[in-house]
Amino acid sequence: MDRILIIEDDAETAAAVAAVVRALDCAAEHRDTLDAGVAEAAGDYKVIVLDRTLPGGDGVDAIARIRAGGSRALILVLSALGRAAQRVEGLEKGADDYLPKPFEEDELRARLRALLRRGTMQVLDNDLLAFGDLEIRMKARTVHVKRAHVPVSPKEFELITYFARNAGQIVTRMQLLENVWNLHFDPGTNVVDVHVGRLRRKLEDAGSPAIQTARGEGYVFAPLPAAGGAG
Amino acid sequence: MIETPTEVPADERPLHARATWRLAGAMALAVALISVLAMGLQYRLVAARLTEAQRALLTADLDALAALYEQRRIIALRQAIAFRAEAGAEEMLLLMDRDGNVLAGTLGGWPEGLIPSGDGFTVDPAQEIDRDGTRWLVVARDLPGGFPLLVGRSLAPVDATLAALRQGMAGLLAAILAAGAFVGWLAARWVMGRIGRLNALADVVAAGNLDARLPGPRSRDEFGLLESHVHTMLDRIANLNRATHRLSDTIAHEMRTPLNRMLRKLDRIEGQEEVTGEVRAEMRQAIRVFDSLLDISRAEADQGGGGLVPVDLSVVAAEVWDLYEALAEDKGLVTAAKIDPAVEVLGDRHLIAQMLANLLDNAIKYCAPGDQLRLSLAGGERAVLRVADTGPGLPAELREEAFERFVRADRDRAKGIKGHGLGLALVRAIALRHGARLTLPKVEKGLTVEVAFPRPLG
Repeated sequence: MDRILIIEDDAETAAAVAAVVRALDCAAEHRDTLDAGVAEAAGDYKVIVLDRTLPGGDGVDAIARIRAGGSRALILVLSALGRAAQRVEGLEKGADDYLPKPFEEDELRARLRALLRRGTMQVLDNDLLAFGDLEIRMKARTVHVKRAHVPVSPKEFELITYFARNAGQIVTRMQLLENVWNLHFDPGTNVVDVHVGRLRRKLEDAGSPAIQTARGEGYVFAPLPAAGGAG
Repeated sequence: MIETPTEVPADERPLHARATWRLAGAMALAVALISVLAMGLQYRLVAARLTEAQRALLTADLDALAALYEQRRIIALRQAIAFRAEAGAEEMLLLMDRDGNVLAGTLGGWPEGLIPSGDGFTVDPAQEIDRDGTRWLVVARDLPGGFPLLVGRSLAPVDATLAALRQGMAGLLAAILAAGAFVGWLAARWVMGRIGRLNALADVVAAGNLDARLPGPRSRDEFGLLESHVHTMLDRIANLNRATHRLSDTIAHEMRTPLNRMLRKLDRIEGQEEVTGEVRAEMRQAIRVFDSLLDISRAEADQGGGGLVPVDLSVVAAEVWDLYEALAEDKGLVTAAKIDPAVEVLGDRHLIAQMLANLLDNAIKYCAPGDQLRLSLAGGERAVLRVADTGPGLPAELREEAFERFVRADRDRAKGIKGHGLGLALVRAIALRHGARLTLPKVEKGLTVEVAFPRPLG
């Protein structure tokens, strides 16, 4: 069972995060001050959910200390300091992901899943990613469905590889904007939907209903009919 | 026209330096003027005294001649003058008879144009005549019986002394001017050095380093006081800046934490998806407005500050365009982009992306199917980013204030187009943060927004 450390001073938030963690079949450990959290981080954790405005200091400033303590956990900053500039600052200081408060539980779940998976799945260097009759060739940057070539734009190719990396899991619009477009502000419009919609239609026209809308916050890439459900 | 950032051109500084030089020059000149005045007075005094001395000599000569005349009249005069002339007298002497023949004297004939005047052997009235380039003070008389008498003393020693004095004064004046200029130069150098330190500090601060201070102790003079005042001001500004940043973080924390708790409670409400969904959307919108305000004030606070790095504007523009072009096409707009490659500016990639996203989002929001949307980026002396649409444009009364916070056109409210009037305010704040010029060129149809970034040197 994977262990996730929550460093968070707001009890209610900590409880909500812990509930999400347990729903992912992971064990949650909670610390409510920065120093206690950094000390505990040396333990065997897959992911650390780190607040910023904590008794004892700014969590982001402690990332270097956590790493120096020997932790190999991926760090998700979960903070009320949620403006674009602050998110970028957090990522630049070594956070692996950054989710502003208030957060949707679906969003947190999707991001924790992605982080948990990132720890285990590092085989994306393979040239060929095959999902049933959908094939992605990384070097040639081509997509084939049932042996037929599906023409995609460079951005759509990046989009489908990001989906493929998180196959079977909900991917939120915010995640797509951050990871595919490297933009960290909320555009407030459905820009991402337009792009996903185009890619989705191309795949569907070729006969692959690989991209599905997930209830609530995002999309699921589930190319194999039987492969549904997440890890 | 939207307000433009007024940078202080660096070439203004030599002007101030020239002011210091002017002051030093004026002081040297004033000293020289006073000296000239004093020397002039002295010169006049000396000239008067020397003339007076020659006049006294002339009086003595006349007195001696008068005594002789008392005794034996013309004969005695003639003898005495002949004797003096023989002995090589330095004074001018001449005695003639009524027919114009020279009886005795140092001259061969009566000087031309000299008319005898006065009576007896008094010195008054005396005349000045010029002979062979030398001035003489002479007394010309007709003695009883028609004997013209001429007695004179040379003014050459007076003129020689005065010439020497003039020469000395000219030399002294040159020395005073040189000394004044030198002292002025020293003073100017010193003042400029002290002011230069402050100017250098101001440049560093303007470049974004609010923590820069002058090294070493403050001197106990006006400059030291000025430096102390500047330091105090910078301390206050730095404190205010820190407080502002802390305050916005505190506000964000204090607002988002309770909002987060509300969201957790919303999660527990079941069976009212529609209502909770609306509440979530409202909350998200409130946070967006809030973030925009904080982003604007942050960008304004950082205006002119450092922290900017080289950014490939072409890449950023292409990325954001790629994201929004699809949205525009879906809405039925005719799109076109012309982006010059490798246009580099000093900037913050994320802020520039946000600014461009706001501009494109705004254009798409107001355009109708069939309208055109064009993006262009041109590198040159300035990097000019231009978003042009053929939509409804700005209402005339809004052109001046479209980039102010919370300014929205009434027709948008009427049409139900959503917004808070913060998008363009953020665009302006981000443009100013980059020292870029934001303008709305006059176009026939629609709205064109132009952002001209300064190019990095070299």
